[in-house]
Amino acid sequence: MIEIRNLYKRFGDLEVLKGIDLNVSSGEVTVIMGPSGSGKSTLLRCINRLEEITSGAVIVDGYDVMDPATNINFIRTEAGMVFQQFNLFPHMTALGNVTLGPTKVRKMNRAEAEALGRELLDKVGLRDKADVYPDHLSGGQKQRVAIARSLALKPKVMLFDEPTSALDPELVGEVLEVMKQLGREGMTMVVVTHEMGFAREVADRVIFMDEGVIIEENTPAEIFSNPRHERTQGFLSKVI
Amino acid sequence: MGSGFDFKVSVMWESVPLLLTGMKLTILITVMGLLVGFILGTVFGLMKISRSLFMRKLGGFYVESIRGTPLMVQVMFIYFGLPLAIGMRVPPMLAGVAAIGVNSGAYIAEIVRGAFQSIERGQTEAGRSIGLTHLQTLYYVIWPQALKRMIPALGNQFIISLKDTSLLVVVGVGELTRTGQEIIAGNFRAFEVWLTVAIMYFAMTMSIAKVLNILERKLEI
Repeated sequence: MIEIRNLYKRFGDLEVLKGIDLNVSSGEVTVIMGPSGSGKSTLLRCINRLEEITSGAVIVDGYDVMDPATNINFIRTEAGMVFQQFNLFPHMTALGNVTLGPTKVRKMNRAEAEALGRELLDKVGLRDKADVYPDHLSGGQKQRVAIARSLALKPKVMLFDEPTSALDPELVGEVLEVMKQLGREGMTMVVVTHEMGFAREVADRVIFMDEGVIIEENTPAEIFSNPRHERTQGFLSKVI
Repeated sequence: MGSGFDFKVSVMWESVPLLLTGMKLTILITVMGLLVGFILGTVFGLMKISRSLFMRKLGGFYVESIRGTPLMVQVMFIYFGLPLAIGMRVPPMLAGVAAIGVNSGAYIAEIVRGAFQSIERGQTEAGRSIGLTHLQTLYYVIWPQALKRMIPALGNQFIISLKDTSLLVVVGVGELTRTGQEIIAGNFRAFEVWLTVAIMYFAMTMSIAKVLNILERKLEI
């Protein structure tokens, strides 16, 4: 589903990603962990080309994201993204946020889009918030609307960029619950997070990154109980 | 009073009907000029944040050259200068609307630029990440939010441009100031007539401020 080969990303003089190789197969849930500045978010943002890669290749569902012939807007509907800061559109209701993509990108008619939107809001447990503006939603609710907004494009992959890091602790659970549900339904997911409980429960694989390279990857059980690399050990001991 | 000055309220009342026709023209020129200014301002404001260096330079040139010259000179240039170059008279009304439009456009361009730049980057990213094109993101996501943030500054520009129309007295458009001047030419009552003119300008600007206030409260700006 996602194939990353020898990916390098540089911001000016700063080399953020230094030769990343990663394959994510369909239905797989991959969790990426690592200290801040290790390049995990950048890696995620290279997958839907929110960042232009410096060299290497990123293939999503068979399409090379840097190929000029690839319609990048199409890739972005295939790979939905959820942000740390939610980035809901404040001038639209929850339902409006969810239906914007279907109506403008998928050219769905309004009635169809709203039916889909309500169904998705129901799925994330926010059926009664359809007509509420983001300002009147809690952080957890906002993030669940953001997830529904991405799902509305019927993506094949969901990318999560620290989806619970901006939330008050008591709101983290409701978002993780929705994500777990998605994972169980077989959604292909790449999740940058420090939520070990989530990783343990739904991840097929955990990747540990530091200083722009993948240090270690393994099943969650193996990597948490038996980290091989000392940098992984050091990081995990601080997070737990 | 040794000067023999006698203030007559009746003169003020008598001048009102004629001044009202001038006031109508003032409002018309302001509204039309600002419409032109809003379009110019949006186009040039967006140029100033374009990814193309040429566009940014062009936008910058417009803003700087208009902001850096007096409106009076711009008015005279459009009305007296331009006709010599294009070999055609510019009707005073058109010259007035054009001057107000081109002038306010430069200031509105800065308002537009600032408002667009104030919208968080995450909004663009969120728009692009659901597959919207660059233009769709600007139109559906950024523009409505930017417009809301522009309202206070646009209201301020409205008031400024309305007062600026008084400079059009030099091209002979029969707006409020010109009408006042013409009345005085007949009755020599400068004190009463200018006072009335001032009150009428003040009534208009106060009304705009009031409407703006209500709008801002309604939109929770």
